Amino acid sequence: MSKILIVEDEQHQRELYAMELQEEGYEVDQASNGKEAVDMVKDNKYDLVILDIRMPEMDGIEALGKILSRDKKIPIIIYTAYSNYKSNFMTWTADAYITKSSNLDELKEKISELLSTRNQ
Amino acid sequence: MGDDFLKKTLVFVLAGGQGERLYPLTKDRSKPAVHFGGIYRIIDFSLSNCLNSDLRRIIVLTQYKSLSLDRHIKTAWNLYRRESGHFIDVVPPQQRFDANWYLGTADAIFQNIYIIEHEKPEYIVVLSGDHVYKMDYKKLIEYHINKGADMTIAAIETPVDEAKRFGVLQTNADLQVTGFQEKPGTPAVVPGKDDTSYVSMGIYVFTTSKLVQYLSEDHKMDSSRDFGKDIIPRVYADEKVYAYDYVNNAKSHPYWKDIGTISSYFETHHDLVTISPELNLYDKEWPIRTYMEQWPPAKMVFNQEGRRGLALNSIISNGAIISGSLVEDSVISPGVKVNSYSEIRKSIILHGCRIGRHTRIQNAIIDKYNIISENEEIGYDLEKDRQRFTVTPEGIVVVPKGLLQ
Repeated sequence: MSKILIVEDEQHQRELYAMELQEEGYEVDQASNGKEAVDMVKDNKYDLVILDIRMPEMDGIEALGKILSRDKKIPIIIYTAYSNYKSNFMTWTADAYITKSSNLDELKEKISELLSTRNQ
Repeated sequence: MGDDFLKKTLVFVLAGGQGERLYPLTKDRSKPAVHFGGIYRIIDFSLSNCLNSDLRRIIVLTQYKSLSLDRHIKTAWNLYRRESGHFIDVVPPQQRFDANWYLGTADAIFQNIYIIEHEKPEYIVVLSGDHVYKMDYKKLIEYHINKGADMTIAAIETPVDEAKRFGVLQTNADLQVTGFQEKPGTPAVVPGKDDTSYVSMGIYVFTTSKLVQYLSEDHKMDSSRDFGKDIIPRVYADEKVYAYDYVNNAKSHPYWKDIGTISSYFETHHDLVTISPELNLYDKEWPIRTYMEQWPPAKMVFNQEGRRGLALNSIISNGAIISGSLVEDSVISPGVKVNSYSEIRKSIILHGCRIGRHTRIQNAIIDKYNIISENEEIGYDLEKDRQRFTVTPEGIVVVPKGLLQ
């Protein structure tokens, strides 16, 4: 079973994504900011990370660099309400950038696409 | 076209070269910091090219034995003012993005993506700090823009046999790159010719977004993180990559050397002391800048039979004293003193060396701060020299920095 880390400061959203992805058959861990996420990546092996950008303590852009420095091949999806970070070159080092929308289809599709190429 | 694109350009100078084949000149310094031509260091050529091309935003990436390089850039090159948006920054690995040193040339840039994000340039020039050459990067960037290229690689037309030692570009008649091989057995030839190939000079212009895209992709792959091996082959397959013919576009006499070995270092210096050297250091249109310590003028003294201070076909730097001795076909760095009844022939004597009386030196490179005692002979009995110093297969003797005191 693929293991996914969701990094999102807003608790309701985080739990919603977790439930939805568990229903899809993934094992899901949750982190509420970048710092927590970096610590969790140190101690656990994830197949994919979903990363919000605007978060307290450590934002997603800083966390992205730190996570990649531990494991440069881990697929990372940036999942944010804001599209303007697309022009930030740091976000280009992630595998995908998805702007949050009312349904989670795009996110789910991208997850299965990235996991299937990873498992090839 | 105005000059606005120069303001939108960020330059990365790769200055981490170890220069293993220049050992022992690189025993205590990186290759870009190796002394050259009496008063310069190799990196002065790339940085002077930037200055002369009106490029004012420069990042020098160092990592290996960088102390002398760092000090040199801080003293010789502190001429840009940050409040006007101009800078030459020396950046060792920050390990912000990766806990490693730079793994390859591409990784060096990738690890500094945060600088690119901060500066937001439209174009990025990537240069090597270990080549001796003159180039107007302004024309190179202009060419890149006019071609609508995603990447442009400066190339020098080289005889096919020599090209085998380098990265060779294959192009169509419009100079669009269609192939690239490192050290090929049968190099691709320049369109319309059969005896020359385009050799990559390791000088690249990128449209920033493309560079970031390919570096980010490369970071996720099994890769040696090298521009030549990993990045170029993938970029030309999908994007518009052009070769820039350096010689055809050069204003004055074109000159480019990757001084890779002691032998080429030595020969290049020998060329410098000829009447019309290939590399003109006296070109007012393209001055080469360096750090100048305060020294008194060079002096040659004694004019009596058998004790004549004489320098022929040589470069003599400030602070040098040639006292009652002969210097021929040689390059003498600042602060060197050659005492009476000695002979220096076809040699390079670096800063602060003292040569005792009745000493004979030929075909030698004496690195900084050596005190050569009286009646010494270097370069005459190579067997003996081999036991004390480094001797190359061509018979050039190298005395490492500060060995003899």
